[in-house]
Amino acid sequence: MIRVEGLTKVFSDKKRGKVVAVNNLKFDCQKGQIFGLLGPNGAGKTTTLRILATMMVPTQGKAEVNGFDVVKEASKVRRHIGFLSSETGLYDRFTPRETVEFFGRINGIEDKIIEKRMAEIFHNLDMEDFQDVRVNKLSTGMKQKLSIARSIIHNPSVLILDEPTVGLDIITARSVVEYIKKFKEEGKCIIYSTHIMREAEKLCDVIAIIYQGNIVAKGTLEELRKNSLSDDLEEIFFRLINQGEKRK
Amino acid sequence: MSWKNIRLILVKELVGTIRDRRTIMAMVIIPLIFYPLLFTGIGYFNKLGSTKSEEAISNIVIHGGEFAPQLVKYLHDNEKIEILNIKDDPSFKLKKGDVQAVLEIPSDFKYKIDQGAAVKLILKYDATEAKSRIAQKRVNQIMEKYKSEIILQRLSQLGLKEEFIIPIILEEENIATAEKITGSFLAILLPYLIIILIFVGAMHTAVDITAGEKERGTIATLLVSQISRLEIVLGKCFVVMLISFTSMVLGLLGLTLAFLSGASIAGGIEGAKFGISINTIFLIFLVLLPLVGLASAVLVMVGIFARNIREASSYITPIYMLTIFLGIISISQGIELTDKMFLVPVLNSSFVFKELLMGKIYWEHIITTFSANMIIAGFALLKATRLFSKEEVLFRS
Repeated sequence: MIRVEGLTKVFSDKKRGKVVAVNNLKFDCQKGQIFGLLGPNGAGKTTTLRILATMMVPTQGKAEVNGFDVVKEASKVRRHIGFLSSETGLYDRFTPRETVEFFGRINGIEDKIIEKRMAEIFHNLDMEDFQDVRVNKLSTGMKQKLSIARSIIHNPSVLILDEPTVGLDIITARSVVEYIKKFKEEGKCIIYSTHIMREAEKLCDVIAIIYQGNIVAKGTLEELRKNSLSDDLEEIFFRLINQGEKRK
Repeated sequence: MSWKNIRLILVKELVGTIRDRRTIMAMVIIPLIFYPLLFTGIGYFNKLGSTKSEEAISNIVIHGGEFAPQLVKYLHDNEKIEILNIKDDPSFKLKKGDVQAVLEIPSDFKYKIDQGAAVKLILKYDATEAKSRIAQKRVNQIMEKYKSEIILQRLSQLGLKEEFIIPIILEEENIATAEKITGSFLAILLPYLIIILIFVGAMHTAVDITAGEKERGTIATLLVSQISRLEIVLGKCFVVMLISFTSMVLGLLGLTLAFLSGASIAGGIEGAKFGISINTIFLIFLVLLPLVGLASAVLVMVGIFARNIREASSYITPIYMLTIFLGIISISQGIELTDKMFLVPVLNSSFVFKELLMGKIYWEHIITTFSANMIIAGFALLKATRLFSKEEVLFRS
């Protein structure tokens, strides 16, 4: 599970001075749950997920993954997480089999276990036909399947997914969403960032609307609807953002 | 730190690099095929050009030939000289290249010779033209022969022997062995070319696996794995070293073979012999290995710092230019070597490499060069690891 308490990240920028990317975030995500971070570009979603994935250190606050601190026990945290983002690329000169093998090995998995898990994953994701084709010859959909396979080869209990459907065509995006649902059914704890309302509605058990580094609302879809007196998530989203702008 | 993890990164980068055609070009084709072809080709065409010039007949014009018939006869008897009779201005023909030299003999030639005085003759030629230089050489040789005859005549008139004007005979013996001559011939250019190859070999791979990885967005996937930042940097640095080292070895092999096979063609050394011992080869590698490490660490460091391949290339260009500059300094003849010079990377390796090729082993130079380059390489590696841990460097956009 993931627990975040008072998480703040401040960047120093030559032109803009101190920039608060993430401000005092507090949330948690349980096993078998999908926690959605819904917000526009630049809201602080990627920074939050990078901190959870141990790639960045928070300026203040605390974050834990399966009870391990993301700063003090970064290596232990990495053992439990699978990270996938729209920005994470693949090695063009490798085949899916070589890619997944490599990521299994660098996550400390034995070759025998890698072979077994790889066969399962390739079967489940329908990747068997192109497992030995170099990545630069694969379609976008095939590449995204490989990205998923790469991020779950070490069977992580926590998945950190940063806008995994951005740039994908509608069919591939739909199949990615289906896989994420399957991972939830397997009991994985999933944190999912997106700016697509429809995806958040379909996938997330709990949604946090994030704007300019702050969580402006949090709850299940039902709770958000109830509190905002609207059924439409898009409408809720814009109302909350407008309220945030007025408060400023 | 786990060697297993470093090896995983190394193998992954090595496979990726070898599958890249551009690396094969920089690592194998350039040092093993392009360089040797270039040098043998240059040598061959040089030799071909000079042979043609040597074989060509020299057309010369003599002004005042009637005042020195004996000298004209000597020139005429030489089968490589053709005396032309031109009424127009021969200087124009000389500029055009139709005539290779113009000899002017004064009207008082015979009188001054008979009087035992000195006569001034003028030989006009074009030093920028190979054929004209050859004509000048031919006329000079004949002139020397003619001068000797006049001197002998004058000495006999005075009742003196030839030895009177040659009191000392200096006989020179060159003790340099064929191996040493070969070494000195190789020492002129080989270190410079090899140092360039070390950098060229390392450059593409270093940028591709650092800034390239950032550009392609694959770096984040490595950062969330069980491998530490130090292990990633070391794995990447070792693979760049391996590629650079291979490029260097192939370069040494290709260029040495090119120099030796093309030596006689290039007109450099007749009967060239490669007499460098196994010990010297070992020392050459000992001196060059830290330079390989230094080049790799610096290039990896720059690649990590850069946002993308383009930015990395623009940072690397001045480093490459500096290397070429230091390489050129090391080629320059007559530089007075001081101990401090052996602390300057590139320059030090080039000088020691040169010394070794000439068969000179100065341990203090070898140790200073080895240590200086190792220390700087270590610093660059440390800096690269630090940069790789900085989120503002990794996620700069």
